[in-house]
Amino acid sequence: MVDLLFIGLALLSIGGAVAMVAYSNPMYSALGVLISMLSVAGIFALLNATFLFMVQIIVYAGAIMTLILFILMFLNIREEDLPKEPHKFTFIALGAVVMIPLNVLVIKAVSKLPSKDLLLTNTTFGDIGPVGIQLYNNWLVAFELISILLLVALIGAVVLAKKRTKRVKPVGEAS
Amino acid sequence: MISVTSLAFVSMILFSIGAIGVISRRNIFVIYMSLEMMLNGVNLFLVTFARYHFNMDPQIITIMVIAIAAAEAAIFLSVIILLFRSKKSLDTDIFNTLTQGEKS
Repeated sequence: MVDLLFIGLALLSIGGAVAMVAYSNPMYSALGVLISMLSVAGIFALLNATFLFMVQIIVYAGAIMTLILFILMFLNIREEDLPKEPHKFTFIALGAVVMIPLNVLVIKAVSKLPSKDLLLTNTTFGDIGPVGIQLYNNWLVAFELISILLLVALIGAVVLAKKRTKRVKPVGEAS
Repeated sequence: MISVTSLAFVSMILFSIGAIGVISRRNIFVIYMSLEMMLNGVNLFLVTFARYHFNMDPQIITIMVIAIAAAEAAIFLSVIILLFRSKKSLDTDIFNTLTQGEKS
């Protein structure tokens, strides 16, 4: 049962990723990425990471992809604005040729590991409580730096998106 | 039985498709989504080995990666809005104002 669930989620995630690369309309690509991210959230749930399952759905699928879809609709992109990509599938084949040796290397290295059953367990591993204790005990500096980074990104987005005046005044001149 | 090899296979496939998208596409939105897909593959790899070694630290790193991706989304999308307003295109080959001696 769990195996069938895992196979279905893996196929859905890979299919969404392939749809992202193959479609030329960015709206369809965004929907493919959305399917892929929701499937990866399901695989997180199978791997006992319940808190990350919720974070993936809320932050990735709920915030980031919704923001991308919102911007896509807001920009009102017409067919002639899209870049012409006549050699797209040639480049995709070339990229696949480049990436296959790396894949083979990693899969060979991982398959040498002693095999272990990764089924769901009944412990509190990956719940919000143990993750929070770990985060605030051992990763406190990184957590604070992340909060500063988010603040800087917020200020940067506001500064970039605000309305510009036509001419930039010289520095020091009173407005 | 869910083996660590099959999970590593899925995450490497996701990472590779993201890298192929960055290499082959010229639409800047698709390039951004490919970057997100690469981050997603790395996250899946980290969570797999968190479960394999029964250790919580990779899950914390995954939370950090998701936070950085959220910050990146805000900046990247506002930059895309500015570029689209000035150039009226999504083609990455047009965004060459920093190159010298070539008129765009």
